[in-house]
Amino acid sequence: MHVVVCVKQIPDPAVPGALNADHTLKREGKPILDESDSYGVEMALQLVDAAGGGEVTLISMAANEETAGLRTALAMGAAKAVLVSDPACAGSDALGTAKALAKAVERAGSVDLVLTATESSDGYTGTVPAQMAELLGWPALTFAKKVDIADGTVTIQRQTEAGYDTVQASLPALVSVTAGVVEPRYPSFKGIMAAKNKPVDICTAADLGLDGQLGWAGARQTITNVENAPARQAGEKFEDDGTGFEKVVSFLENLKVI
Amino acid sequence: MFEWSEEHQMIRSAVREFVEKEVRPHREELEHGDMAPYELLRKLYKTFGLDVMAGASFDKRIAREEAAALAPMASASDDADGASEGSSGNAGMTMLPIIELCRCSPGMVTAMGVSVGLTAAAINGKGTIAQRKRWARDIATMEKIGAWAITEPNSGSDAFGSMQATARLDGDEFVLNGSKTFITNGPYADTIVFICKLDEGNPLNERRVVQFVLDAGMPGLEQSKPLRKMGMHSSPTGMLFLDDVRVGYDRLLGETLESFGGKAGREASKATFTMERTGVAAMALGIIERCLELCVPYAKERVQFGQPIGNYQLIQLKLANMEVARLNVQNLVFRVLEMSAAGKGMSLSEASAMKLYSAQIATQVAMEAVQLFGGNGYMAEYEVEQLARDAKVLQIYAGTDEIQITHIAKALLA
Repeated sequence: MHVVVCVKQIPDPAVPGALNADHTLKREGKPILDESDSYGVEMALQLVDAAGGGEVTLISMAANEETAGLRTALAMGAAKAVLVSDPACAGSDALGTAKALAKAVERAGSVDLVLTATESSDGYTGTVPAQMAELLGWPALTFAKKVDIADGTVTIQRQTEAGYDTVQASLPALVSVTAGVVEPRYPSFKGIMAAKNKPVDICTAADLGLDGQLGWAGARQTITNVENAPARQAGEKFEDDGTGFEKVVSFLENLKVI
Repeated sequence: MFEWSEEHQMIRSAVREFVEKEVRPHREELEHGDMAPYELLRKLYKTFGLDVMAGASFDKRIAREEAAALAPMASASDDADGASEGSSGNAGMTMLPIIELCRCSPGMVTAMGVSVGLTAAAINGKGTIAQRKRWARDIATMEKIGAWAITEPNSGSDAFGSMQATARLDGDEFVLNGSKTFITNGPYADTIVFICKLDEGNPLNERRVVQFVLDAGMPGLEQSKPLRKMGMHSSPTGMLFLDDVRVGYDRLLGETLESFGGKAGREASKATFTMERTGVAAMALGIIERCLELCVPYAKERVQFGQPIGNYQLIQLKLANMEVARLNVQNLVFRVLEMSAAGKGMSLSEASAMKLYSAQIATQVAMEAVQLFGGNGYMAEYEVEQLARDAKVLQIYAGTDEIQITHIAKALLA
């Protein structure tokens, strides 16, 4: 079984982020693997194991040829990676990204399943998985908290507010997984040492037949402004005159917790 | 080498994450002696595939030696390959877990190092292939825990001179007697290398030093409960008592009395001392890094006399000295890695110099960290107090400062 996982290399969240004048995120310094993608990588490795063979391919997009984040996922056990890397990628909107990643999936060869996170930790649009599935012409199964594959069919538990729905589709398909679908493994030392020699196929927009469709040139959305999220409101304060518990109970009742 | 490579950085961040998630939540239990470190160490080994790697490398080496024994002509070049393969490029993989564990619980490194380092090295250095397969492999993979028993109540730095533990031949068996103390892993060890003198009716100072491998639970062998110590609480230390423990030649390392002494034996001991001493430099680096990591934000946040204490030059001096120490010790560790990658062995004198400096400076840094934290620093709640107690032993074990000085001076004056 051949599983592709979309992974994003993002600026380290531990370092304070900064924006460019055009409102895009500054992507300087060494990027790391988006933690929300590590769940997809782990899921893919487990599915290939359960299938008794196959391999995991990573796909990613970056404006420069940065691979530091990819190496982490390769160290976990992915076999190879396709990196769409082109200065022309800078400024891509979600649809542009989905186009590039869908083409990269085709470049990766015969693929049974594509896994993605539900959204990236730096952009948070959450639209790329569905757009990719549409471009590939495959079913999109989103927000999976459990994934099973049997007889050419993928079955997921789709997280809902009330619980979960069971959703099924034939392969090939695209599944977005939530954090917590599986516990990501630590890369072994052997895996880390092996990662540097694993193949990373670096291709440009032109290689994918997407000349002029990525980056600012292809973007249909513009960022007009960026504002700080409103500060959290201070809570209500009550002096406990012996009946404080009633306030707590009615507060919890309002939340429908009790 | 002036910085960690990309692979090293990946190893470091993976181990750091493991330590934060799996070890730090247990720091209190480890500190108060309610928890032995072995399950956490095994988890570390398993998580990063160190158990599998150690097992495979052990099997490979044994297979090569067995093949060499059958075809002695080929053995010389094979040995050369083996020596370089064991160390080159891998030194970082050994050093980084030491550094990272020391940022939280330095005692865990002591427990690990004495088992997979000293005890396995002693068996591999002197043992026959059969003995190595029987005991050393399981220790290398952390399946079993090893202890290396040399120190006695009346013999510390003068380990061999004042050693009183004895082995006496009785037919085909040896009868072992004596007591050992300050034995790391002693309370819980599965496998113990017991060092003693062969009593052939000759005077004490003429007796040969011999080593035996013992298993926990043998009749006549008693392992004490952990001793209370100043620091390194995550490393259980105990006493061993041997009362007429009877063993055959199969437990005598080398399986013949002729295998002891001579140049080869001394070289093996020196290699072990060098490994141990360079390991202490890595431990010191972990402690110093952690002290700085705790002190810098504290200096920025702690306000006295209306301003952050980091504005005061006396505090700045402490931080600057810590940074100088960090750079120096890191450079020493880099040198170990570079030499190892180049296939060059470090002299015992240089390893001693490295250990002397690293141990002293780590203790100084940790004590200054306590001082920088003031009253808070003296409280157990603030980690620097633990690091200061832990660091002190680096000046005492693996050869005291004073012993390191004699080794350095001996080489200089030779």
